[in-house]
Amino acid sequence: MEFTALFLAVAIVMVVAWWGMRALALVLFAATLLVSIATYLHHASDVLKLSF
Amino acid sequence: MTRSLATTLNALGLYAIVLVLLVAFVAQLMLHELPCPLCLLQRIQFAMLAVGPILNVRFGPRPSHYAVSLLTAVAGAVFAARQILLHVMPGDPGYGSALLGYHYYTWAFIGFATGIVALAAMLLFDEQFRDVDKPRPISAFARTAVWLVLALTVLNVISTLLECGFAACPDNPVAYELLNSRR
Repeated sequence: MEFTALFLAVAIVMVVAWWGMRALALVLFAATLLVSIATYLHHASDVLKLSF
Repeated sequence: MTRSLATTLNALGLYAIVLVLLVAFVAQLMLHELPCPLCLLQRIQFAMLAVGPILNVRFGPRPSHYAVSLLTAVAGAVFAARQILLHVMPGDPGYGSALLGYHYYTWAFIGFATGIVALAAMLLFDEQFRDVDKPRPISAFARTAVWLVLALTVLNVISTLLECGFAACPDNPVAYELLNSRR
């Protein structure tokens, strides 16, 4: 569900960037990027099977 | 580099993103391989990569617009690198099929790294940032690129909704959850 919401958020940022205000597009972009990084950190919980 | 040339190159960048999203979609539908959560995150970053060029096409090239794409490309490269490291051990078959010898996440890492270099190269040319406040007509070539990338992003909204439904996406998805729940 969170990925659907993220894709939807990106689509909204694109619509605002193309038809809306530049400042609003930049704010929405920053929020979407932060949420995508938070989603990554939530999912990147598996231990990497690396040995050096 | 003139503003006009920079805008055309930004439109070409949008077409490159369209190509990446299209190939991922075609592979998903033709090979019946559903994207995993990390794969979806990388696709999202490719779509987000389009925001900077869209702003450049509409408002004229600005360093802040290139920064938007640079931040996205770095995040995308980190996400792809993590998936490479998950499958780097000898004997690990990797996730999904390989395309021209590399898995999709390896191609994604190459794509994001190429994007970082291309964006840094674009920032070398100061001439494009002059007279940025003067409105200029937007070419049909650039308009089409924006519409295509937007359409593919909306298609990904629908595809991801079908794949994951209204719950958390499975780690190894094998069926479209929303379609299965309706049967």
